[in-house]
Amino acid sequence: MKTWCVILVAVFSALVILCGCKPNQPDATDKSGAAPDSSTSQGESPRQLTIGVMPKLIGIDFFNATERGAKQAAAELDVRLVYDGPVTNDVQQQVQMIETWISKKYDAIAVAPNDPDAIAPVLQEARAAGIKVIAWDADARKDARDFFVNQCTSESVARTLMDVMASAVGPEAKYLILTGSLTAANQNIWMREMEKYRQEKYPNMVNLSKDPKASEEDKELATQVTADCLKTYPELQGIFAITSVALPGAAEAIRNAQAADRVFLTGLSTPNMMREYVKDGTVKKFVLWNAVDLGYLAVRVAVAAAKDEIKPGATTFDAGRLGAVKVVGDEIILGDPIVFDSNNIDQFDF
Amino acid sequence: MKRLLASREAILFLLLLVVYLGFAATVDGFSDWNNLLRRARYWVPAGLLALPMTFIMATAGIDLSVGSILALSGVVFGMLFNDVHLPIWLAGAVGVLVGGVCGMANGLVISRLGVPPLVTTLATMALFRGIAMGLSKARALADFPSDFLWIGQGSLLKFSGGKDVPFSIVFLLVAFIFAGIILRKTWMGRFTECIGENPIAARFAAIGVSRMYLALYTVCGIMCGIAALFHTALYATAKADTARGLELEVVACVVIGGTRISGGQGSIVGSLLGLFLIGILRHGLLLADVRAQYVIIAVGVLLVITAILNEWMTSRGRAKL
Repeated sequence: MKTWCVILVAVFSALVILCGCKPNQPDATDKSGAAPDSSTSQGESPRQLTIGVMPKLIGIDFFNATERGAKQAAAELDVRLVYDGPVTNDVQQQVQMIETWISKKYDAIAVAPNDPDAIAPVLQEARAAGIKVIAWDADARKDARDFFVNQCTSESVARTLMDVMASAVGPEAKYLILTGSLTAANQNIWMREMEKYRQEKYPNMVNLSKDPKASEEDKELATQVTADCLKTYPELQGIFAITSVALPGAAEAIRNAQAADRVFLTGLSTPNMMREYVKDGTVKKFVLWNAVDLGYLAVRVAVAAAKDEIKPGATTFDAGRLGAVKVVGDEIILGDPIVFDSNNIDQFDF
Repeated sequence: MKRLLASREAILFLLLLVVYLGFAATVDGFSDWNNLLRRARYWVPAGLLALPMTFIMATAGIDLSVGSILALSGVVFGMLFNDVHLPIWLAGAVGVLVGGVCGMANGLVISRLGVPPLVTTLATMALFRGIAMGLSKARALADFPSDFLWIGQGSLLKFSGGKDVPFSIVFLLVAFIFAGIILRKTWMGRFTECIGENPIAARFAAIGVSRMYLALYTVCGIMCGIAALFHTALYATAKADTARGLELEVVACVVIGGTRISGGQGSIVGSLLGLFLIGILRHGLLLADVRAQYVIIAVGVLLVITAILNEWMTSRGRAKL
């Protein structure tokens, strides 16, 4: 037992020594820490801002593309960019990483939260510490962030999808919708907007099934469900597959059934997932926002917020190469989604 | 044996000291004690679970369902408070109770049916997570009062200059001292290690082996319930898919701490040092702008090194004996 006591005493004495050392620490770190600072702050130029940008997760095409955009903006604005996030879509990891970023006293933090509520306490902590907080890609609780960089309004997603269908099949198209899970929040909002727009603009279009077909973010299931629909709805002319997984899954079924000529398939997905189906003509057109521009805009807004150049109540925001983008309340909106087809798909890599 | 244990913990402590001083000398902002304490609040749920896990692994068992029990307790607590509008203390108590019942279920299957702990808790890991999903329909339960969030986020003592001591850290340290005394100073600790060393010999020594199993897994479930309260307060949310992978983090702390996975020997102080070592390594590397995927590699390397160290020390200790 003596050794035990010795260890305990050693722990406490070490803690005391370390705490006591603290005032001296800056001297030691000054040599390494201050060197880059003094080189940038030579002359009268202001201190370089540091912006932390966190995606939902790292290592997937979509968020690699947003990173490229973020880097472009950081280079243009001459700010230091830290782009990092968890390796799975785990909000707890995000919270802990932001906690570290707060202690590093970044000037602004832009985060794509995996959960709007769980991220809120740490973001409020960041704001209390004087850090500007931006949500992008997905929103956080409104009282936990200064601005939200929204890729596009649900209204514009719905309109673009319906217009693509109408221009390909005609204003009397008979269609079905393939969604993720029946409880998916984004998808449900989009479907509501699509129905609203249909009643306004295309009253003769027909949704063959008021309840959407569910694919549960599972590509194989999306293929099966689509194959079943091709059989049960002989009058079917068009399909919307509105998750990034459902669209390639549905495309697989259309390709297997060689039904591309009689059923027009479109929806939301990424160019990399859809490239093969666009190349072989299974899918002629699909829709998504530009991931590179989204990352670019997030950094632009974060820097402007850190410099207090953007205020709530503004109606436009000057976003560099994107021009003036729309601001609604405290949301900055990237713009209308892109329609991808065989002509432009090779310009995009995400 | 005692000297061996002491030196293992001493080595671990030296390693922690080296890592700490290394970061303090090279990484800006690391030596800010206040930052470190605030960051340490996030280690509390894993730390609380490392305590019963040390006991369980000392009996050569394992509990892989701790993350799932935590999620289920949290969801039940959140639903009782948000949907049924029970007073928060009552909802919390029921949440802890649910954790205890889950742990008891593990214990009954292991002790009465003789199913190995790895298999049992692998199955209940999926089962409890599934129940949590079904009950909550994958909703996030939020809207907790700030008085409750205080237990996870708030400070017990506030000093001038923004220095404060989080309540959850103090709670964790008290729990550690308590568990350390039980393991080292009482018959419960001795029986636990005895069972791990040789369960048949333990039975012949008139130790109620199956009762000990039942008690250990039940207590583990109760601790999951308590950790669920801290976890929910920390993230202001209870959700069915929360704390994914927590069980492996807890096992990692305990293994780094020198508890033998084949049983017979546990160390509460070691588990605490293991928790701090992983936590400080993560915090320091993130502060140094090392990207998340490399942080995982560093933690993996740390695990391998300590595992080799443990094996080497055990074999050396055996040779001396």
